[in-house]
Amino acid sequence: MTAVISTFEVCRYFGDDQETMVKAVDRVSIEIERGEFTAIVGPSGSGKTTLLHLLGGLDNPTSGSVELSGANIADMSGATLSDFRRDHIGFIFQAYNLIPVFSAEENIEYIMLLQGVDASERKRRVADMLQQIGLEGLGNRRPNKLSGGQQQRVAIARAMVSHPQIILADEPTANLDSKNGIALLDLMKELNQQSKMTFVFSTHDEKIMSRASRLIHMHDGEIELDELR
Amino acid sequence: MLTIKLAFRNLFRNTRRTILTVMLIALSLTALIAVDGVMRGMLTLLVDNVTGTLSGDAQVHRVGYRENLDVDLFMENSGSIEQTLQQDTSLRSFSPRVISGAMISSTYNVAAGILYGIDAEREQANSKVKAAVMRGEYLSGGDNELLIGHSLADLLETDLGDRIVLTLSEATTGELAQALFRISGILDFGVRELDDNFVFINIASARKTLAMTDQQTHEFVLTFLNPEDAENPEHGIFQQFNNTEIEALSWLDLNKEISFIIELMAYSSLMIGAVLFLLASLGVINSIFMSIYERIYEFGVIKAIGTRPSEIVRLILWEALLLALISCVIGMLLGFAVGSWTATNGLGGLGEIEFSGITLGNNILGEFHISQFTTFPFFAVLLTLAAALYPARFAAKIVPSEALQRSL
Repeated sequence: MTAVISTFEVCRYFGDDQETMVKAVDRVSIEIERGEFTAIVGPSGSGKTTLLHLLGGLDNPTSGSVELSGANIADMSGATLSDFRRDHIGFIFQAYNLIPVFSAEENIEYIMLLQGVDASERKRRVADMLQQIGLEGLGNRRPNKLSGGQQQRVAIARAMVSHPQIILADEPTANLDSKNGIALLDLMKELNQQSKMTFVFSTHDEKIMSRASRLIHMHDGEIELDELR
Repeated sequence: MLTIKLAFRNLFRNTRRTILTVMLIALSLTALIAVDGVMRGMLTLLVDNVTGTLSGDAQVHRVGYRENLDVDLFMENSGSIEQTLQQDTSLRSFSPRVISGAMISSTYNVAAGILYGIDAEREQANSKVKAAVMRGEYLSGGDNELLIGHSLADLLETDLGDRIVLTLSEATTGELAQALFRISGILDFGVRELDDNFVFINIASARKTLAMTDQQTHEFVLTFLNPEDAENPEHGIFQQFNNTEIEALSWLDLNKEISFIIELMAYSSLMIGAVLFLLASLGVINSIFMSIYERIYEFGVIKAIGTRPSEIVRLILWEALLLALISCVIGMLLGFAVGSWTATNGLGGLGEIEFSGITLGNNILGEFHISQFTTFPFFAVLLTLAAALYPARFAAKIVPSEALQRSL
């Protein structure tokens, strides 16, 4: 197996003063293989979100490296980094993932527009994705006409439709009730198994983390335990 | 297309704010169209008064005559000049004049003034002397007829039919000469300088009094078919009569203070436009910043999924462009409505306005001009886009990780 993404001694510190400096992520080295369904778990403030941001190139590390398919994201900036994220990484956030003035279809289509995919291909992929996430017939609804669970499904579709190498999800179930949260994770798992796409998500929900095939436990910015299940 | 759709829909997320911003730009444009219309109307009135009253669109003189109005600086061979002028098809009319400083005496008083000898028939097409007759009759060609400004008549304590003695220097010899006239008409030009100082007699009488031949003339006053020709220094008349002997001067050259005022009015419009649009621009900047702050998490998300900073700038500029276009359409419609009203009804009730010694009547009619509906909206759009650049740059620089940590 080859690592899709890896970090080496990556650190993210906030503040310059030694006494007040917060070590959100401290010397973390991990490798995530293609097709993994990995959960980063830990209590609030453990550094899960910061690590996900570093993995996705949303934040620059204080030191260390983050490599995705051999490219060091930490060295990228501006339009290059935007393009890299667009083509290689899919994101799902806790909530308010979607552009509220776009319909579900348009939200899914938007990233392909950024990629320059032609209109007919965009329409085809949108229809496929809506079917895969079980929202056929609801594509023309705007986010405020969809339930929280449905909105997160659309966010998954948007993350997957650009065919990224990895999907990073920051507490995707945090704003859902447990039933919908588990259903969403089951959908992600199913898509992971079907497409062999790599999923890394953060959670502190025990029921959710049980779905993961690998658990990376974080505490105070460091990896406490890395377990395969 | 999706970006334009997104920009358009973003505009109507907060309809009230968008309407207020649209009205700010639209009303600025409306105000500018209305102010420019009134300024243009005032300018037309001013120019009409200047050119139409006495000075005409242009004048031909002996070189140096205008400096001191020296009576001996007349054009010798006015017949050949008349022939040249007759051949110029851009002229609607022209008329000869003989002019001299004179001591104007009545039984009761005496005053210094300016004597104009005019061709009573031809002068009508080049000035408002006939129209200015408030009492009595215009010149009919008689030897002793004289028209006098009403305030000069008051000063001299004279009225219609009263005798006036003109004392002046003969043009060729410099000898003093006197002639007796009777007031046939009292004039009211609405121009203080004319009403206070000027008398008009028939040109033949004037030449006779000044001991000039009928080929000797001080001035030809010209009226163009197209008044704008007078503002073109390349026009044939100004090229043809531009030598060491004879010169042709446009009304702008003859009325330096008026051309300065016209320039000043153009700057005033520019300043009013600049202030209005500057204020509108500040409103636009504020409005766009508000809308960005409301969407900061969303910008974090769309940047995270791969939207380039330049695409964020483009999105904000599209929003500003659509905002500006909607505003301009409304502004032009309102501007047209207000402009139509002032063009029809004018700014009545202001009383007579004296401007640089010229009375502008009591109703200034607004005027439309193509630039009000092309240049002004163009600048409104341009300034709105310029105003949007600053917030657009701010949005483009949003750091996704920081934006995503904002409270949901």
